[in-house]
Amino acid sequence: MSDTINISLKVWRQNQGEEGHFEVYQAKDIDTSASFLEMLDVVNEQLTLNGKEPIAFEDDCREGICGACGVLVNGTTHGSHEKTTLCQLHMRKFKNNEQIVIEPFRAHPFTVIKDLVVDRSGLDAIITEGGYVSVKTGNAPEASTTPIKKELAEAAMDAAECIGCGACVAACPNGSAMLFTAAKVSQYALLPQGHPERKQRVEGMVGKMDELGFGSCSNEYECAVACPKGIDVQNIARLNREFIKASFM
Amino acid sequence: MKKNCALLSSIGQKLLIATSGLVMFILFLIPHMGGNILFLFGPDIFNSYAMHLHQMMPVVIGLRVLMLASITIHMAMTIKMSISNVQARGTRLSQKPSKERSLAARLMPLSGGMIFLFIVKHLLDFTISPPAVQMIEIDGYMAKDVYGMVYTQFQDPVQVIIYLLFMVAVGFHLSHALQSAVQTFGWYVPRKHSKIKLISMWVAIGMASTFAIIPVSALIYFHY
Ligand code: FES
Repeated sequence: MSDTINISLKVWRQNQGEEGHFEVYQAKDIDTSASFLEMLDVVNEQLTLNGKEPIAFEDDCREGICGACGVLVNGTTHGSHEKTTLCQLHMRKFKNNEQIVIEPFRAHPFTVIKDLVVDRSGLDAIITEGGYVSVKTGNAPEASTTPIKKELAEAAMDAAECIGCGACVAACPNGSAMLFTAAKVSQYALLPQGHPERKQRVEGMVGKMDELGFGSCSNEYECAVACPKGIDVQNIARLNREFIKASFM
Repeated sequence: MKKNCALLSSIGQKLLIATSGLVMFILFLIPHMGGNILFLFGPDIFNSYAMHLHQMMPVVIGLRVLMLASITIHMAMTIKMSISNVQARGTRLSQKPSKERSLAARLMPLSGGMIFLFIVKHLLDFTISPPAVQMIEIDGYMAKDVYGMVYTQFQDPVQVIIYLLFMVAVGFHLSHALQSAVQTFGWYVPRKHSKIKLISMWVAIGMASTFAIIPVSALIYFHY
């Protein structure tokens, strides 16, 4: 048997192009084993029944792998700094009668589309600059033709864990996308398959990141704390190295 | 990317900030601290050091030009970057910082600004408009009694407190700056249990306290 709690939600409501504001809603008898998004579903059902517009938020997989979800909950990205996405956060983390403040991810390039939904297409634009490798079309190559050290493969996999949710940007005091870009650059830079486009990739991605108005990194590491996938700042050091090599050597 | 574009990219600007900062640290702060330590060995040694430094004027002028260039780059880039970072951050209403950000990191703009004011004050105190200095004889040369000048300045407790406050700013600034520069140059500085962070902190504490020794010892320990 799971418990139920009553909570009050202070949620950011905004239509695109208009000023936003917080609104307060009461949510009664919320099952503590519900996920945060399921709780929002319940609240939205009530809002709809009462003739009000439901709270817009993004989600897709609801199992922590797609990166679609993500808002600030009580001032914290994804509501937790324990490598948890919002969809994997459960209501048992909250107390009865607690007020929960929900705000969209904030950064200049993340304009609010509606309520909690922000435009994160800037991250896709960064990937487009070099998130690919040159391979010959045709049959898949024999798996063991390119030997790769285990540590490198693991580090590349760690970087590739990034789900592009944008929590790093929202947590960074400078609205920087360095951790995201670093993960994307690293996953290719570490593997021989990524080497043909190595130089264009880092220059293109960093150039795009700057062009879109993301801030710059001052090595405060808030991004790594916020990352639900535990992407490490080691990747940022690697990005810096890649950039120095590509641009100045 | 062309080299000049690369230098003006976000990473390029940070490289400029880190490099100019390191130039000031290595070519100015460390030698300056070394010179200051000589104050503790009394007027003869300190004045003779000051005189020898004066005799190497071309080198000193070269260093001054380099410092002026470094501080200009350092400040211009930092101000430019801070403005765009504030814009990039956007308006955040409920966001709370985590415990990850050290106080030193948060106070970088403040400590940096204080250091700039301090440099201006320090130059006014001892270089641009120094008080009347007595001339003394060292090894047959007439030289300024720099020891006496420094000593007199720090007989005023208010001056000593102002200098100490600025040294705190130097300590804070260095403790984030050093480790941050290392990461910017591409050497990994881990979040936890980082030796580089530790070294950075102790170098900062060590340097700030060494600088602080002079005003304090002039006020309470030495008699001249
Ligand atoms: S909905 Fe896919 S990660 Fe949360």
